[in-house]
Amino acid sequence: MDRERSSTPHARVRRIAVAILATLGTVAAVLQVLACGRPRQPAAAEQVLRFRLREDPPTLDPALANDQISEAVVLNVFRGLVEMDPGTLEVRPAVAAFWTIAEDRRTYTFRLRDDALFHNGRRVTARDVEYSFRRTLSKETNSPRRFILEPIEGAREFAEGKSAAIAGLTIPDEQTIVLRLSRPFAPFLSQLTMVNAALVPREIYDDPARAYLRAPVGCGPFRFSRWEQSNFIELLAFDGYYGGRPALDRIQVRIIENRESALQEYLAGGLDSLDEVPNHDDALMARLGSEVHEYPFIGTQYIGFNHMLPPFKGNTALRKAFNYAVDKEYIWKALGGYPPANGIIPPGIPGHDPDLPGYPYDPAKARRLLAEAGYPDGKGLPPIAFWFNTSEGIRRLAQKIQADLKAIGADVTLREVDWAAYLAAVEGTPEQPGQAQMFRFGWYLDYPDADAILRPLLHSSNWGPAGNYFRYRNPRLDALLDEALSLPDPGARAARYREAERIAVMEDAAWLFLSYYQSQTLFKPYVKGIVHSPLGEFRIPLERLRVEKGAA
Amino acid sequence: MTTYLVRRLLGLAPVLLAAATIVWIFVFLVPGDPARLIAGGQGLDPAVLESVRAEWGLDDPAPVQYLRYLGKLLRGDLGVSYIQRRPVVAIIREHFPPTFILAVSAVLLASAGGILLGSLAASRTGGLTDRLVLLLAVVGASMPVFWLGLMLMLLFAARLAWLPVLGYGMEGAVLPLIGVRLPELDHLVLPAVTLSLVLMGSIARLTRTGLIAVGASEYLLTASAKGASSARVFALHALKNALIPVVTIIGLDFASLLGGAVATEYVFAWPGLGKTIVRAIALKDLPVVEGCVLFLTAVCVLVNLAVDLLYVWLDPRVHYGGAAAA
Repeated sequence: MDRERSSTPHARVRRIAVAILATLGTVAAVLQVLACGRPRQPAAAEQVLRFRLREDPPTLDPALANDQISEAVVLNVFRGLVEMDPGTLEVRPAVAAFWTIAEDRRTYTFRLRDDALFHNGRRVTARDVEYSFRRTLSKETNSPRRFILEPIEGAREFAEGKSAAIAGLTIPDEQTIVLRLSRPFAPFLSQLTMVNAALVPREIYDDPARAYLRAPVGCGPFRFSRWEQSNFIELLAFDGYYGGRPALDRIQVRIIENRESALQEYLAGGLDSLDEVPNHDDALMARLGSEVHEYPFIGTQYIGFNHMLPPFKGNTALRKAFNYAVDKEYIWKALGGYPPANGIIPPGIPGHDPDLPGYPYDPAKARRLLAEAGYPDGKGLPPIAFWFNTSEGIRRLAQKIQADLKAIGADVTLREVDWAAYLAAVEGTPEQPGQAQMFRFGWYLDYPDADAILRPLLHSSNWGPAGNYFRYRNPRLDALLDEALSLPDPGARAARYREAERIAVMEDAAWLFLSYYQSQTLFKPYVKGIVHSPLGEFRIPLERLRVEKGAA
Repeated sequence: MTTYLVRRLLGLAPVLLAAATIVWIFVFLVPGDPARLIAGGQGLDPAVLESVRAEWGLDDPAPVQYLRYLGKLLRGDLGVSYIQRRPVVAIIREHFPPTFILAVSAVLLASAGGILLGSLAASRTGGLTDRLVLLLAVVGASMPVFWLGLMLMLLFAARLAWLPVLGYGMEGAVLPLIGVRLPELDHLVLPAVTLSLVLMGSIARLTRTGLIAVGASEYLLTASAKGASSARVFALHALKNALIPVVTIIGLDFASLLGGAVATEYVFAWPGLGKTIVRAIALKDLPVVEGCVLFLTAVCVLVNLAVDLLYVWLDPRVHYGGAAAA
């Protein structure tokens, strides 16, 4: 009886189980059919470029864009008066057909093209330039880069709300705009190439509901189509682009955070370009071969010293000892880092000095300097807190630096924190230095001019949270930078920057100079027209690219 | 029952207030200047920072900021994202549907598979099938979802090319009225299966235990003696009673998944809420963190309420709102 009672339900269970199994199998089969029936590639006739961003752009508003991720999209939708040639790094006409500079080197007159159209079909006029500049400068916009327009006479007063107009901006006619600077400022045109000086149509950007944040309208080669947060952004070729319709019909920007997943998507053919290469996998790198593109990127990575806190305060020998102690070649080759830096100004920028000795790896010299600094074999040197923001790559770098410094007798404790906490520890306040004694940082130049790295980071006018977090001050360096700004001759300017760099590097050892950045990008062989830009992997002009799958 | 429902729903208010307060205090204490994150980047003009602080009310004393935050909550305003500069409600509306769809799919798959495997194991207690199911259950529950997702991706997407590697798809249908875009079905398979495999183990083990316990009950024999078919006896008497603890665990799993299956969303680039919250925490986008946590607290309470109500259907002895049934 017991046996019968227990076996009967079990038999029923089996029958039901088989029925459920069959149902699941059918569902799986249907899913499989659906999966196989769906096209994975764009239609052959359409030229589509699919590339990856590791996160959503913080903004698509050109006035607010202040990071590479935002610029990767914004630069393709917008254009300004002038633009930077991504390959040669020369300033060239964009919406301005041409410009003249008066003899006083303060007055710039721009003549606009007749055929530049916004994506809503309206022609771009000088009034749009005025509106866009006022917008970037205004207090309400709070642009982090309003400084690029501040050389214009009266711009600062306008930005501070002291004036209703920008005194140095005049519009003689609908297609002409005149900008008068407060004083001669050599990098002005370079600054105008930045995306924050891009032109926007008033009828769209005066919207109190700010719909333009999700649907930007510019006059660039691609017009905005769709943005699904954390999924994709889609741009379409703009037929009315003054430079001619791009060959690419469509750009799909895929938001993929995980590096390994993105790599698999690239290998599976779901991406045509990838902004990271698998340099941890030698076999895969060899297989990818010519799909790997490596080229210089105008940026410098360094370890900052806090010149207001011990032990670095007033101790040049200690700072030099740390520079000699770190094996930068090893970091480059064994840790997948970047080429060693001999200074601050990266290659390709006027003023870069290839003959600057820098600090090659020399532990014996480092020990001698450590003793000279008052800490023979590290005796008496308290542990130093080395701060960096959370990142696997930076952690590896920090551990190597820690080991190298330990080898000469210096104890360094690692402080890995999130970005917000890191910035708080590094920047401090205008009155007080941050608590970080040493910290890793990198600087990408906004435009290819030595002033774009030396001034924000080392000039005493940017002391503290404004950029000179190190609280470094040298009046000779300040004077050289100020003098260079007003020199018309590029050669003379470059000489001043070389001299300024020599002071910061060889005399003061202001930082621990680590490496010059490089871009590493994967491109499928069928992507043609690639221009390697020192401005970064996202500055490759997409309007010049073609997708020729038949030619691959 | 109605009284019970009203009481539970009213109980939501203090829970939300407590959650709002705790989250607000935590995010307020996190080091870092939100103004700098709003303005973006390094080397900012101090005047710009001051202006940002004034615009967002960040220069007000903490109690003022807290009261303003509560006042907005009472009006149903979850604030505006520091980074995206759009309402948090819009961000939740955009990211919750993908999370919901993934969670529902994973729970359905896990429930079907877990109940099936548990039933199979219970039918052959101590046999090879039983041992295999138990082994699979342990392995499934022990595997890190991040690793499992990558392995499934490598096999089914990279090697066999049966399924897309990742993503939500760009051309899924849009539901009328609510405007939510559905994922492309093939894009849903891998993340849903990954999550379901992790959940399936515990469901299978609980189903097995429940069925073995119920299998010895006299009322099954009574039901058979009264002429009920074997399928009816299994489904309405054996399985239904064995499922009470299973429903509890499914409910908890579902509520947890609605909070975001962060690792799965990360591996498969799924545009869900979990990833959004983690990113907001990293960027100190406080309004998004606060809004999402509040929303998810409410969702968890509601899911738990739904599970409690399901007990009534599964077990007539369970009764809310009056004297207990005999």
